Amino acid sequence: MKKPFSLIILMIFFASCEKEKTPEDFLFEKLPAETTGLNFSNELTETNALNILDYLYFYNGGGVAVGDIDNNGLPDIYLTGNQVKNKLFLNKGNMQFEDITEKAGVAGNSDWNTGVVMADVNGDGFLDIYVCAVSGINGLNGKNELFINNGDGTFTEKAEEFGLDFRNYSSTAAFFDFDNDGDLDMYLLNHAVHTVNTYGPADIRNKRIAESGDKLLRNDDGKFTDISEEAGIYGGANGYGLGLATADFNNDGFTDIYVSNDFHEDDYYYLNNGDGTFTETLKSKFGHVSRFSMGNDAADVNNDGFIDMMTLDMLPEDEKVLKASVGDDPRDLDKLKTEELGYHNQYTRNMLHINQRGEYFQETGLLNGVAATDWSWAPLFADFDQDGFQDLFIATGIPKRPNDLDYIKYVSSNQIRNKINNTRLVDNEALDRMPSGKVHNYVFKGSEDLDFKDQSGKWITRDSVISTGIAYADLDNDGDLDVVSNNIDANASIYENQSDSTSAYLQLSFKLKNKNTFGIGTKAIAWQDGKMQTRQLYNSKGFQSSSEPIIHFGFQKNKKLDSLLIIWPDNTFQKQTGVVLNQHLEISPGQNLEKINYKKLFPAPKPWFEKIDSLPGINFNHRENRYTDFDRQKLIPYQISDRGPAVAVGDLNADGLDDIYFGNSKFDSAEIYFQQKNSFIKQDLKLLKADEKTENTSAVIANLNKDSSNELFVTSGGGEFYGEADALLDRLYAFENGELTAKELPEYFENTSVAKLSDIDGDGDLDVFVGGAAVSNDFGKLPSSYLLINEDGNFKIQKNPELENLGMVTDAIWTDFDQDGQEDLIVIGEWMSPQFFRNSNGKLENISGKILDKKLNGLWQSIVPFDINDDGQMDYLLGNWGLNTKFPASAEFPLKMYYSDFDNNGSTETIVAYAKNEKYYPANGLDELVGQLSYLRKKFPAYKDFAGKTIENIFEKEALEKANLLEVHTMASGYLLNQDGKFTFKAFKNALQTAPILAFLKADFNKDNQEEVLVAGNYFGVTPYHGRFDALAGNIITKNGEILEGVEIGLNLTQKSVRSLDIVSFSGNNYLMVSLNNGKPEFYKLKD
Amino acid sequence: MRKFLYIIICTVVLSSCTKEEKPIVISAENYHQTVDKITDIMVHDIFSPPVASRIYAYSNLAAYQIIRQENKDLIDLTSNFKELQPIPKADSTAKINFKVAALVAQMEIGKKLIFSEEFLTSYRDSLYTNWKKTNEEEFNTSKSYGLEVAQHLSKWIDKDNYKETRTMPKYSVYSDDPGRWQPTPPSYMDGIEPHWPKIRPFTLDSASQFKPAPHPDFSLEEGTAFYDELIEVYEINKKMEKEGDEAEEVKIAQFWDCNPYVSTQRGHLMFATKKITPGGHWMGICKIASKKVDLDFAQSSYAYTATAIALADGFISCWEEKYSSNLVRPETLINKYVDENWKPVLQTPPFPEYSSGHSVVSGAASIVLTKIFGEEFSFEDDTEVKYGLPVRSFKSFSHAASEAAVSRLYGGIHYRAAIENGLVQGKNLGNHVVKDLNLQPLTY
Repeated sequence: MKKPFSLIILMIFFASCEKEKTPEDFLFEKLPAETTGLNFSNELTETNALNILDYLYFYNGGGVAVGDIDNNGLPDIYLTGNQVKNKLFLNKGNMQFEDITEKAGVAGNSDWNTGVVMADVNGDGFLDIYVCAVSGINGLNGKNELFINNGDGTFTEKAEEFGLDFRNYSSTAAFFDFDNDGDLDMYLLNHAVHTVNTYGPADIRNKRIAESGDKLLRNDDGKFTDISEEAGIYGGANGYGLGLATADFNNDGFTDIYVSNDFHEDDYYYLNNGDGTFTETLKSKFGHVSRFSMGNDAADVNNDGFIDMMTLDMLPEDEKVLKASVGDDPRDLDKLKTEELGYHNQYTRNMLHINQRGEYFQETGLLNGVAATDWSWAPLFADFDQDGFQDLFIATGIPKRPNDLDYIKYVSSNQIRNKINNTRLVDNEALDRMPSGKVHNYVFKGSEDLDFKDQSGKWITRDSVISTGIAYADLDNDGDLDVVSNNIDANASIYENQSDSTSAYLQLSFKLKNKNTFGIGTKAIAWQDGKMQTRQLYNSKGFQSSSEPIIHFGFQKNKKLDSLLIIWPDNTFQKQTGVVLNQHLEISPGQNLEKINYKKLFPAPKPWFEKIDSLPGINFNHRENRYTDFDRQKLIPYQISDRGPAVAVGDLNADGLDDIYFGNSKFDSAEIYFQQKNSFIKQDLKLLKADEKTENTSAVIANLNKDSSNELFVTSGGGEFYGEADALLDRLYAFENGELTAKELPEYFENTSVAKLSDIDGDGDLDVFVGGAAVSNDFGKLPSSYLLINEDGNFKIQKNPELENLGMVTDAIWTDFDQDGQEDLIVIGEWMSPQFFRNSNGKLENISGKILDKKLNGLWQSIVPFDINDDGQMDYLLGNWGLNTKFPASAEFPLKMYYSDFDNNGSTETIVAYAKNEKYYPANGLDELVGQLSYLRKKFPAYKDFAGKTIENIFEKEALEKANLLEVHTMASGYLLNQDGKFTFKAFKNALQTAPILAFLKADFNKDNQEEVLVAGNYFGVTPYHGRFDALAGNIITKNGEILEGVEIGLNLTQKSVRSLDIVSFSGNNYLMVSLNNGKPEFYKLKD
Repeated sequence: MRKFLYIIICTVVLSSCTKEEKPIVISAENYHQTVDKITDIMVHDIFSPPVASRIYAYSNLAAYQIIRQENKDLIDLTSNFKELQPIPKADSTAKINFKVAALVAQMEIGKKLIFSEEFLTSYRDSLYTNWKKTNEEEFNTSKSYGLEVAQHLSKWIDKDNYKETRTMPKYSVYSDDPGRWQPTPPSYMDGIEPHWPKIRPFTLDSASQFKPAPHPDFSLEEGTAFYDELIEVYEINKKMEKEGDEAEEVKIAQFWDCNPYVSTQRGHLMFATKKITPGGHWMGICKIASKKVDLDFAQSSYAYTATAIALADGFISCWEEKYSSNLVRPETLINKYVDENWKPVLQTPPFPEYSSGHSVVSGAASIVLTKIFGEEFSFEDDTEVKYGLPVRSFKSFSHAASEAAVSRLYGGIHYRAAIENGLVQGKNLGNHVVKDLNLQPLTY
């Protein structure tokens, strides 16, 4: 607690005395064209023949390529114009540039230019220029042009000669050596231009369309051959390709490809098979991706040697824009696309995909603070401030926002209606009424634990220039990286990096003897003080642009490197030690180099778990019934009907072997498997069938009546039944004479979530705590929990006012937290703080206020006792919602939920509000709110009337005051640290904040005689606005608090929602059973 | 501001100094204009067809119940409405202009029910200013009475279950039944107003009173009635496609589209092409007929109100069938089983197929209008000119209703059964409305 407190003081201090920096103090100084001579403006002219109605990417802007075309040590700049002519500027030093377009002969002849790449296509040591074009629609003529560098300041257009003169709808291209044969091949990124009136199934990507389909071209001695089909590259009608990245993502020595596709088409993740073909594996490696994917960048941002991936989208940060713009799909449409049409999960926000050794990617854009930068084109990772962590520059903005809701629903209709239908002409007035989308560029400072801090307004000015393509280069040879942006209707910008002299860098360029003269695909790994940094040289990146073909490192200290490893494109390597920093090194491959062994470079961790198909005989499949809570309670923040399966492992038939109970969802029968010698046998039990209408939420096997066999206690919930429905009653089953019988329980009609047993009154039999979960059709109401006292096998509810309306309970444990020899109770739940009940001789007393941090409301999901700092005092690990979410919460600015009958129609609503810049805004958009509270449509006839309004401006003061207010103070998972009986909350590191933690299991998994805790979760019962919380792979927390990632222990539970972790003993071995919502349980052998 | 002040002063001066009592003169044209104004706002606000019909019914009824006091020949249309108490009596000593009061009540109810109030208030305020200028006392007393009636009706309106149905569950799309309605391209909107049958009807005992004959059993087997009807939709549209935009069927389909929200995408731009609803179109026909025979203010109000009640009950009846049969649209089936690239001529509206809303309400409205204006009442229908469509001529209301009904087949959004049975459903309902309201022909 100490640290955040001092941080707050610091922040206050800063806020009070630190003025906004003046531009001179910024990390980047924006140089005006008047002083640099970089006179280029991508002026767009809308005409009746060509505008955003006729060409959907009219506002996508131009690109920029930077590279040293005359090999004089100063990188030169090429800028593309959509309608205006392209220009080439020669760098004359001291940030002076000369327009040499005409002399060089590189203005180009296409009507509409897009992306540009500098690459030595013919392998003569001079950078050539490849310019993409849109050709063949709306009277646009031209072709992709290849300007071959003659080495004398002039160029000759030779696209046809090389077989690269495409007349289609190109976005950009990348040159790289895909088959490691020493020359540069090319990937051409194209985009569809048709209107999205119907989606069509995802598999139409298999049907090749020449104009819009992407292409892979193999360089056969200077002639490029289209090998897309045989190489496994998609080229279908839905390919809205806007972003292209190349990298060796899985470190197998071959270059892979990531393609960002706009609209409903999935992004493509092509893994290079090394045999001339690729395998597209997006769905298995990425849980979800950006929806309106635009530019992207590939870089190792967490310094683990594996290249991570960033894709941009258009989620606005500004509430006024956010609530007035089209956002994510409604849930039903999202399901249609993913479940019927075969598309992957796509959501409207920037995504940062962290690569876990090539096994899977974890998307953490929200957690890392880079998800919302509005209409964003180009990301570039580089260590701009030279501190050893990659920073992020993002180019943004659009002249007009076509996704403005008022425009779509109200403005456009009157303006365009008749003209468009009758004449197909559009007057400028109609377009003029579309709101502007000018947004400042963003820059984020990277740091440890991937915490990106927005430095817009500190490193760069918050101007309103629309930047599309950007590229980095060291334009002034001062070691740091400058940025060039191509702007719409404004002069191109140079952001001169003014990093001070105390920072440390290393620049590398390569010179190879083969045709890949600049060494595209070379990897460089630098170690300083044992810390590793990795770069791969691919220069086509961001959006429609290519950066200077160099590698740049920043370092925390100006101190010689421990070592520098260079891996050449042919996978030979060389290593240098003691490299001095703050210099530019040009490196060429040495003689007789050996091939790198990637397996030794990145040794695979020894797994703890080995997946097996199943345990013999077990064939359970949990099927979540098709019920959408949001159809009934349209404004609740998440579903309550999908919390199963209930699972219990124990001996049910008194033979000493572990049997398994699997509860099921509504209308699907639970299953019981008896363990026999070599197999599990599913039991045919009438009572389970008869009770199949119940939705089972948790279960426990124990001896509850002092006989010789165990009973099974099952809680029922599901959020669908309400009132005094029989299906809501919990069940107590016993086995008698081979048949299941029902035992009597007191009647209480709640969605119950958990049953935990302890002999609280010391009478020798087990009593039961039953936790009440959210109330069906009345979310926000506080349900009651129950204590069932066991009297010779008969249960009676012990009245305890402190358990009435306790809150939406999710989990509980019996644990002697006060060390008095009696088991006490800790109860956790959603919108509540952990509750500590002391047991004194069978009576429970809530003493949370005396021993617990204040303001600890969370969306708590799971709890396990574990001495995480090994100090002999029992701590408690708590699973929460995690920080990879759009819901911010803090003690100062909690997430709020108002619960009331806002429209006085007899049914209650919840309004969730979150804080942004110290003000509260509704989590739902106007359409969603109106779906439940129709009077708001009358109050806010236009979206602009609603957008940016705080919750107090939307609802009457009295209505908010009348409502019950529920709060969440932290979304972080963490632990309650026990300090002599008082408990302080500590948040886990980011690795455990990527998704809700729904299950813990404490055991000695690696047989080191120490207990560890296995952590799992993920949750999908939210609207597409929130996406899917799917990034948790399964982690181990060791006795000394160390966190191991799933890939280190042999687990990949990403994209699966884990509800229960259990150890099952079978045939003398222990197995880990991972039970999933809506899926089959998984089984793992514990490795020695 | 200054100008406004000046006007006020002027009015004050005028009303205080000049004792000359000019009556406020209001014509039938004012009535038509007010209905049109409310229509325009509904188009802007994108009201769905059933909700629009409710607004037409209440706003016209408010005006009619006032104006009928001026004309002894006009009957009370609400005598069978069990939950409605008679409207307050006008103070016989006060000088009330019933036309002014009627328009005041009509606008007040309209304002209550539409979203974008400012469009209506600016229209209203310009009328108010003129009336006040002409005769302030007459205006004030008439306005008070109009508002009193509106307030009285408001309480009754509020109990029609509209508010409650706003928060009822959404239509659930999840089903393994291939015959169950699914959202349709391009917007895949939720099924609208699944609880509309729970709205209090005007003349019906229950929403299911005029339940149509069942549609052919869902089947994708060749030779079944359902399958044949599905293929008929596809074949007719193929034939129309061949003939091009000049085909009579295309013209008919487009003329009667009456879809308040057609989502269009061009380039990177999504926008709505908006039109009046089927109810709005029949209000337009009512206006054409009223003007053709030069009905006065009160008679016009009578014709509108009776027609609007038939439309409103028609939608309740139709929606009851739609959300009990929940039948899948032809577009869904044709895309899935016949031709994945097929698109209907009209955009499929977002609710289940059976029965056809336009058929039901056109049937109902045509019966009521025929009763009021007579058989063989020919007219030139220019209602859709504002929306870029041509004028069409009809021999009778029934002729128009039949064409409106079959337009749905040509539009590719309905099977034949929905049209034929829907028209019968509507006509039966229309006859019931005539009887229940005791509608009489107008003499003109």
